[in-house]
Amino acid sequence: MAKYFDVIIVGAGPAGSMAALKLARAGLNVCMLERGQHPGAKNMFGGLLHNTPVLNEMLPSFWERAPLERYVYKKVLAFMTPDSAVSLTFENGNFEQPPYNGCTVFRPAFDSWLAGEAVKEGALLLCDCTAEDLIRKNGQISGVTVKGREGELRGNIVIAADGVMSFMAEKAGLRRDFRPGDLGVGIKLLLGLPEDTINERFHLVRDEGADISFLGTTGGLCGGSFLYTNRESISVGMVVHLDSLKASGQAPYDVLDELLEHPQVKKLIKGAVPLEYSAHLIPEGGIKSMPHVYTGGMMVAGDAAGLCYTNGINLEGINLAMTSGVLAAETAIEAIEAGDYSARMLSSYKKKLDGSFIIKDMKTFKNAVGMMRLERLSRTYPQLLTDILEKVYRVEGTPRSKLLRLARKEALKKIGLKGLVSDGIKIGRSLL
Amino acid sequence: MNVENLPQLTQFQVDEQPHIIVNKEICRDCDHRACVLTCPANCYTFDEETKLLSVVYETCLECGACYVICDKGALDWSYPRGGYGVCYRLT
Ligand SMILES: Cc1cc2nc3c(=O)[nH]c(=O)nc-3n(C[C@H](O)[C@H](O)[C@H](O)COP(=O)(O)OP(=O)(O)OC[C@H]3O[C@@H](n4cnc5c(N)ncnc54)[C@H](O)[C@@H]3O)c2cc1C
Ligand code: SF4
Ligand code: SF4
Repeated sequence: MAKYFDVIIVGAGPAGSMAALKLARAGLNVCMLERGQHPGAKNMFGGLLHNTPVLNEMLPSFWERAPLERYVYKKVLAFMTPDSAVSLTFENGNFEQPPYNGCTVFRPAFDSWLAGEAVKEGALLLCDCTAEDLIRKNGQISGVTVKGREGELRGNIVIAADGVMSFMAEKAGLRRDFRPGDLGVGIKLLLGLPEDTINERFHLVRDEGADISFLGTTGGLCGGSFLYTNRESISVGMVVHLDSLKASGQAPYDVLDELLEHPQVKKLIKGAVPLEYSAHLIPEGGIKSMPHVYTGGMMVAGDAAGLCYTNGINLEGINLAMTSGVLAAETAIEAIEAGDYSARMLSSYKKKLDGSFIIKDMKTFKNAVGMMRLERLSRTYPQLLTDILEKVYRVEGTPRSKLLRLARKEALKKIGLKGLVSDGIKIGRSLL
Repeated sequence: MNVENLPQLTQFQVDEQPHIIVNKEICRDCDHRACVLTCPANCYTFDEETKLLSVVYETCLECGACYVICDKGALDWSYPRGGYGVCYRLT
């Protein structure tokens, strides 16, 4: 086995595998290191693989071959209080046509499949290998060492696609310490239910899927909860900011339990069998907490580069990871052609990122980071909305107010004028 | 949700070498012990009598939350050796 590679990729997640695929197709000698027994063995996420142009381009009609669960065509946003729920449902027939807007997937299956596509094109995949440290030569990064094993792997370029806890980026001096303020923790319970029961409860047919985002079910913590339908199971979980979790003194599984016990959710999961429990961190600091993404001999892609965002309605990460992986690979191809692996040469990776939808979207939603930290968003507003609707619908023979007046009165009572104005500005700036 | 049962749902390939090492001296005087409540897999226990913090690394989900949340540098935390640790099947 050649121990010298054109490119060494740390991590066979979506970012790493797409980079490997691109590089292998360009005829380069590329090696992927994965610490899991197989790609995806260490990976969990909520569940939605978003439509990603670069994936459709590189693997046309991938949906016919990839292990997908369901096409998500129904999106629900639910504002919850302990005993009631207000939800908005969006259904779009176009979401059911290729290229599908989003599909639910299981990471151990999807990540293994994607890495396999890179291997078919000639990439070398080494599983059971945890990269431990970086090797430097003449001030440039030129390889990695593997934990618990003799020997080392050397190459011209290292792509760190090692996920949110990127020790590679840290060791390269590209990022500051991991801080609770920049990260969220996600936990998820996978619950088994027969396919027919899922279709019946969520009003779905065949391989249609639903995605529900809940606000107000995180025990007052900043964050949100989710539910995704898979073919024969549903994923229920939540993402909360680490610093708000720390300050609250609550345990994450107790908070998730409240969601599972909520009367509206309980109906949906009745009779389900717990199949698997998982946890993972998620970059939530937005563009401000991104690390440097390149140095001599190395580039950083995907979660490792902090490329992930949520605006309360969408949570995007896997599409940004795959796209950034390909951009890093394109840069590596240019560098290898030029025989120049210096920071100056690799700086074109940053330019490519800036020019892509990734950084544009992260900039567009940069204020969403602050909005998602509004405690009122996950507690007071859902309560307000359900209170208003309760007053609207409850019939008890007392005189009624007009809807708008009722809303104004309730909002002033709960939040106060100052709070309303400042939240209005924050939410407006983040989404409008 | 009964946390005690949760790890049974998930598969682990346990390494005899722990990947988390706790500096018990630092933890003895910690004023928040945030790791105990934060860990999604309930791996940490603080014994009030002996004032010792212990960790069950065998059912760690390798999320890293404890490492990020501990502001006293009491944790020597790294990924397990390749192939060991949590091994998700579905999810
Ligand atoms: C709870 C939760 C819900 C989410 N929901 C969604 C969603 O619905 N839609 C969406 O688009 N995004 C979602 N995300 C975000 C998404 O999961 C990530 O953005 C995406 O997985 C990033 O891909 P990646 O390839 O950069 O990193 P990862 O998927 O984390 O892959 C990194 C890989 O590197 C390996 N690795 C790490 N260190 C080493 C090492 N030292 N040596 C060898 N291998 C190593 C890991 O085992 C892993 O396979 C969610 C995240 C969480 C936590
Ligand atoms: S590990 Fe850190 S947070 Fe936990 S008890 Fe020790 S010092 Fe405190
Ligand atoms: S890494 Fe996560 S699961 Fe493991 S001990 Fe720390 S907090 Fe718990």
